[in-house]
This record gives sequence, structure tokens and C-alpha cells, in this order.
Amino acid sequence: MTARRQPPARRLPAPGPQLRPLVSTGTVSCPACSRRYVVERYAAAFNVCAGCGHHGAVPARQRITQLADHGSLELMRIEVGDRDPLRFDDGAPYPQRLARARERTGLSEAFLVARASIGQAPVLLACMDFGFLGGSLGSAAGEIFAQACEAAAVERRALVAVCTSGGARMQEGIASLAQMARCSAGVAAVGQARLPYLSVLGDPCFGGVTASFAAQADVILAEPGARIGFAGGRVIEQATHDRLPEGFQRAEFLLAHGMVDAVVARRHLPRTLATLLHMYMPA
Amino acid sequence: MSSTTETAEREAAALAAVELARNPERPRALQVITTAFDQWTELRGDRLFGDDRAVVGGPARLGSQAVMVIGQEKGTDAMSRALHNFGMPHPEGYRKATRLMRQAEKFSLPVVCLVDTPAAYAGIGAEERGQAWAIADSLLCMLGLRTPTISVILSEGGSGGALALALADRVLALENAVYTVAPPETCAAILYRDAGQRARAAAALRPGVDTAYEIGLVDELIPRASRCGHSRDSRRVAPPSRRALCRAC
Ligand SMILES: [Zn+2]
Repeated sequence: MTARRQPPARRLPAPGPQLRPLVSTGTVSCPACSRRYVVERYAAAFNVCAGCGHHGAVPARQRITQLADHGSLELMRIEVGDRDPLRFDDGAPYPQRLARARERTGLSEAFLVARASIGQAPVLLACMDFGFLGGSLGSAAGEIFAQACEAAAVERRALVAVCTSGGARMQEGIASLAQMARCSAGVAAVGQARLPYLSVLGDPCFGGVTASFAAQADVILAEPGARIGFAGGRVIEQATHDRLPEGFQRAEFLLAHGMVDAVVARRHLPRTLATLLHMYMPA
Repeated sequence: MSSTTETAEREAAALAAVELARNPERPRALQVITTAFDQWTELRGDRLFGDDRAVVGGPARLGSQAVMVIGQEKGTDAMSRALHNFGMPHPEGYRKATRLMRQAEKFSLPVVCLVDTPAAYAGIGAEERGQAWAIADSLLCMLGLRTPTISVILSEGGSGGALALALADRVLALENAVYTVAPPETCAAILYRDAGQRARAAAALRPGVDTAYEIGLVDELIPRASRCGHSRDSRRVAPPSRRALCRAC
């Protein structure tokens, strides 16, 4: 299989593109309890509801600014070509779906990566964006993650990945499955360099993403209430006709079953990551 | 010919390929193990929770070479299909596989994986015991092994559940097998929110192993041994597999 014998991915020099300011659209409501917030206030609370504690979705761009030390961010621009090996059309041609996702998110792919520091520790931060085709893992996203891993190993940075994804990107078929291999090879390279890899699992995280790099981290943190697993609850219910237990596949359920190291509230994530990084990566 | 007819024909052909791959008469992992290998000694259990019969494994001889052979077994009749859970492993199956792979490395044995699964099992227990974690660990294990690894896709390689045992130095596949990112039913449920549209999903996915061969996920296609391609007589498939395996080891 090619992933095993692949030469190290070429690292591209990256002048960091500017962050696009978030445009206010007025108010948002908490998806769990419907309480309304002014957008800026909700964003200032990291998209966490003050009323019920529900952790709302966070776009990748907002995510990296929440986690990185102030002023330490340098976005990595990784050029990836578009691939449509199957000429996929599920109601709309795949290139058209990609174009729409780009317009909506301002991202080129479901992964956004940046060099940064967290608590002064040098990291390579890789964040998935669920708003980009469900955070699905296709060839380009896999390429970005693999290059991020390579850069982390070369530059002696820890790898921090925030995973929110429905899994492999169906539109690219078997090429998406190959990305699980590619991303795993990236994780292995970081491990071989004896650099820490910490993953943060957000809502939702499923399929080929959980079953590869999300679960391969040295330390796995999960956000409160996040749904995490391999197969989706609906699929399991339909296939087995079993009633799902209370809280099934929620972060707390996974903690109880020994699959994650801690459930960490979003506002505590930077501090928790920094504490771990300092112990695993003495300056 | 109208494009609707063309589409219908393409969908029918793709579905036929999937059906052929799933034909119950095709040779199964245990049949290949008992015909292509000698002195197979089955080892069981993951040493953590249980023994998953969807995955079988143990040391065997391939010619003069001792190897560790691990296979996903679908079963051959109603009873054995139930026993082997239709080749859909639980986490224990993947953990047994990684246990055997590490053992193979310790004794410098090449690892041969026979891949044959529609997908990893989707169930409450499988999730509780970390299905995704077991697969992820198997991927890392296969990547790191210092002993040669060979995988053969027998009939059906579905999703990460198949890749977990197919991340080898050399990946062979029987020519008329399928290898997909997800079974067509699951793909249809995700994309069209209707598992019934599996023919449409099958056509869109291009499930044949030739697609995987084109992108380099499969290194070599083993020509089918019999015209129908799904003879119950496993000897018909065993000789080319054995030849191919001996070459690869
Ligand atoms: Zn709320």
C-alpha cells in the first residue's frame, strides 16, 4: 500500500493569509434550549450557551483563535488540487458542492491548519470545520493533515487536532478510505519524532475520522455532550432494532467506557492543552 | 440509447458486481487458510474481553515459510454465518488481529491478512467497547510492523473495517472483489437519506477493486480462477492465491 512507502510530503512555504473578520448577522439561538444571544456575545462565550451549557458548533477559523496564544497564529497555506475521481453527482455535481462549501465557509477544505503556540508551547494546530461538507475527509483534507503532521515533525512542534466530522467523504469513494491510511501515517511520523499529539473531539465525530487520527492521539479530550463514535446511532438503531441507552455515544458515555481521557469544557481547553504540553514537551 | 436506460444499466451492472462479491458460494477465509496453508494452528481471544469469531487467526506454513495468517470469516452456511457474524468484526476481532500481528513481529513471521467484510459491526456493544479505537489502533499497528505484511481482499472490502487489515506492504485482491469506502446501503443512507437507493450508490461508488487498484490502494489483481468466479470449490481460487502469496512473502 502506498501510504506506507510514501516519501515525506513536500512542505510548502506558507505566508499566512489574513483571517477574515466574522460578520455579525444579529442574533443566534442555542440549538438546545433556544435561548437567544447577540452573535458577538455568543462568540465571546466560545459558542457555549450560558443558560444550559450546550456547546455549539465552532467554525475552524474561530476555533484556532480560541485555542492559540494571542498573536501566535500563522495560518499554513497548503495548496491542494481538486479531485473528482468518480465524477460524483448526488443531486449536484461534486465540484459544485465544493465551490458552495468554499463560499459558505471561506475555507479551501474541511481542514484548517496553523502554526501557533498554546501556553508558549509550539504546536501545529489542525482544526476540522463541520460546516465544510460535514467535515468529511477527502483527498485534499487528508493531504492537508498529512502535511501538517510532517511539518510538526520537522519543526519539532506538538500536534493538536480538533476533530468534528461525519467521517470519510462519500463523494470521493475509495480515495477517501485511503485518507485514513494517509492520516495514520502522519500520526505515526509525529509519534516517531516523539512529539506529543493531542486530539480534541467535538460534536459530532464519526466514522473514518474517529477510526483513524481522532482516536490515535496520545491524549484524547472531548467536549461536553459531543456525539462520538464509529457508526451513527440512527444506523445502529435501524440495523439492530435495539434501543439506544441513555446518553449513548456522548462524550461522558465515552469517558465512562474508557475511550477518552477527559471531558473538558470549551473555555478550559487552552489551559488543559497547555498543561499537558508543558509536561510532555519541556522547553 | 437514452441516458436513463444507460444510467439504469450502469446501476444494474454495479449492483451485480456487489452481488457477485457477496455470493455465498465464494471461497471464505477459512477455506483459503485450510487449502493454501499447511499446519494452521488457530489462536483465539483478544486477552481483553473475548473472542470474536468474525476474525480468525494463527500461525501456519505457506510452503516452507511460517507466517501469521489472519482472516475475516463470513461463514458458509446459516449456522456458521451467524457464528462468524457475517464477517462483521467487533472491536475484539481487531484487537485479536493486532495481538497476533505483534506476536508475528516478535518471531519475525510475515503477516498475511485475508480481508473479507462488508463493514465493521455497527452495534451498541461494539461502540461501547471502542470500535473506532480498535480500528485506529490496527491501522497504526500495521503501519509500524517491522515484518512483511500482505493483505488479500477475497470478496468484499467494506470501509475502515476492511482497511484495518488491509494496510499492508503489498495488497492483492481477487479480480471480481469489491472495495468501497462504505457499503452501498450505508452510502445511500448518508447521501440520499434512503438505504433503498443502493443501486444508485453502487454505480456512483465504482465499487470494483480496479478503482482501488487505479489509486494504488491495491497493488495487484489476482485473475479469477473460474469462469463464474464464485465457485464453492476453494481449490479453484487457492492456487493463484497461493502462488501470489508465495511470491509476495
Ligand atoms: Zn442553551
